[in-house]
Amino acid sequence: MKGIFFNLSVRSVRLNFLRSLLASIGIVIGVVAISSMGMLGTNMQLLVKDQLTTGINIIMVTPDVVMAEPGSSVSSSNGITDIQLREIRDAAGVNDVIPIDKGSTQFSIGSNDGRGSIYGLDPDDIRSIMNVSEGTTIRGESDAIVGATIASRFDIKIGTRIKIGEPNISVTRPVVRVAGILPAAGLSSSNGINTDNAIIVSDTWYTSQFGEGNLYDQVNIYLKDVSTLTEVEDAIDKKVNRNKEVVRISDSSSRITSVSSTLSSLTTFIMAIGSISLLVAATSIFNVMMMSVSERVQEIGVLLSIGTETGEVRRMFLYEAFILGIIGAGIGGIMSVIIGYSVVSAMIGNTAYFFLPESIVYIPVGMIVGMIVCIISGLYPAWHASNMDPIDALRSE
Amino acid sequence: MDGTPLIRLADVSKVYHLESGDFTALRHISLDINEGEFVALMGPSGSGKSTLMNQLGILDIPSAGEIFIAGRNIAQMTNLERTHMRRDVIGYVFQKFYLIPLLSAYENVEYPLILKYKKRDASGRAAAVLKSVGFDEEMSAHRPNQLSGGQQQRVAIARALVNDPKIILCDEPTGNLDRKTGFQIMDILADLHKKGKTVILVTHDPKIAEYAHRTIQLEDGRVVES
Repeated sequence: MKGIFFNLSVRSVRLNFLRSLLASIGIVIGVVAISSMGMLGTNMQLLVKDQLTTGINIIMVTPDVVMAEPGSSVSSSNGITDIQLREIRDAAGVNDVIPIDKGSTQFSIGSNDGRGSIYGLDPDDIRSIMNVSEGTTIRGESDAIVGATIASRFDIKIGTRIKIGEPNISVTRPVVRVAGILPAAGLSSSNGINTDNAIIVSDTWYTSQFGEGNLYDQVNIYLKDVSTLTEVEDAIDKKVNRNKEVVRISDSSSRITSVSSTLSSLTTFIMAIGSISLLVAATSIFNVMMMSVSERVQEIGVLLSIGTETGEVRRMFLYEAFILGIIGAGIGGIMSVIIGYSVVSAMIGNTAYFFLPESIVYIPVGMIVGMIVCIISGLYPAWHASNMDPIDALRSE
Repeated sequence: MDGTPLIRLADVSKVYHLESGDFTALRHISLDINEGEFVALMGPSGSGKSTLMNQLGILDIPSAGEIFIAGRNIAQMTNLERTHMRRDVIGYVFQKFYLIPLLSAYENVEYPLILKYKKRDASGRAAAVLKSVGFDEEMSAHRPNQLSGGQQQRVAIARALVNDPKIILCDEPTGNLDRKTGFQIMDILADLHKKGKTVILVTHDPKIAEYAHRTIQLEDGRVVES
């Protein structure tokens, strides 16, 4: 039964092939817009999420109150004490615990002055959490390694000397020698330290210059098993914040949730913009369907007068809209792979996530939305055709 | 036959409500047509022939009065029942043939069978009916626009016959044909009448009307001779 009406619809589309194809192009554009935008947003989300999750196995413990020392070039805090560090180590169990001294400082390289973070770590710890892209790690007392941004901005080479502290004629500033340069870490570094704009020195050098040997600005816990994150955080909290909150315990998970949520909203927004093209397509399909109905008024009159049910006439025109949808969505689906891939490649520069299910799913989603739009556009013309008065329809020229 | 007429019109009137005012196309028409009759409807333009044909073809319902076809009051039927009656009881042959342009000759004839049985015709009925109206089998695959007027009308008659209806309604079936072809078509209709079909045709042509055994003359929406 479906056959004859479907055949009639196929033949009608074929008879007006160019017109049908042009109407379908609207759907093609709509499907491509929705799919590509969806894939772009998702690929962006996946990339950012992946970048952020590189440091998700790190718990950062910082002192609850941060204070700046008056008259010092380095702002610091009251810090985490040796006792607290020991408690953190106890609570962290098998996981690595690395205390970090940090502050921000001015520095000079030749005649150029700059400002950046300065970290003091045990050289063994530096070795375990940082890999230099150039040079070596810290070996001597006054060796330093620098982040990629500082290195490129000040054209730092291995062996370059950096004067640390505020330029002051009356005081000789301490000097460190660049032993190594770190690779760019981007949004989130794998070691939980933002090293791009930082100078990393040994803890002994840091203490000798900035004091506070028994106070640390931050303690990082590197989890061996990320699933124990909450458990370890709870243990530290219980152990260190016994009576009052003396340290803050944080990780990247909340940041990931927040960034993912923002990117998800962004994806929805750009998909909504893409779907505007589907509205244009819907108008085009509606127009073509109305033309098809008005060109076939007499035929509709014949169909009704020889005993075709109104539902069958309706179905015939809905099939036509469906066929236009199939053509548009089919071509749109294929184009979405090509255009979506190009857009993701051009705008994100990374197509590693493109074929993942959560990304590629936007192609069938776009196709289904395109087809639904087509069928909805065909509803009124089909209803109009099936409710014609057969006598008037037969009389029409 | 049990004596009940196949078609009965009882005081039928049809009024069209136009912007310029009401127009009465049929006025109090009462007539019976028995099964197996060959009836010609004649009358000048505007006399109500087409309106009456539309009533007989259940394409419209009267404004007043009752029409019974095969014993059923069409005004009391649902739209779907009327559609099914058009499909199963009535075969319509139009002056302009009105074949479905997207279908081949064979498919045009097969179409009412598909409507009725909800499947393609595997019985060979469509081909047999086409053959019975003298349609060349080789031409069955042709689309209507590839056929002459006479061939198209043969296909249209085959389409009207394929569901074995009791009534064949012909609205000026020879109006678009040359004289010779027109008579050939009338010979087919006369043959169908001989086989027991009830044939009702509208014509202006007295020669064509001679094929009928009864002439109903309409004037100004009234039957003036029956």
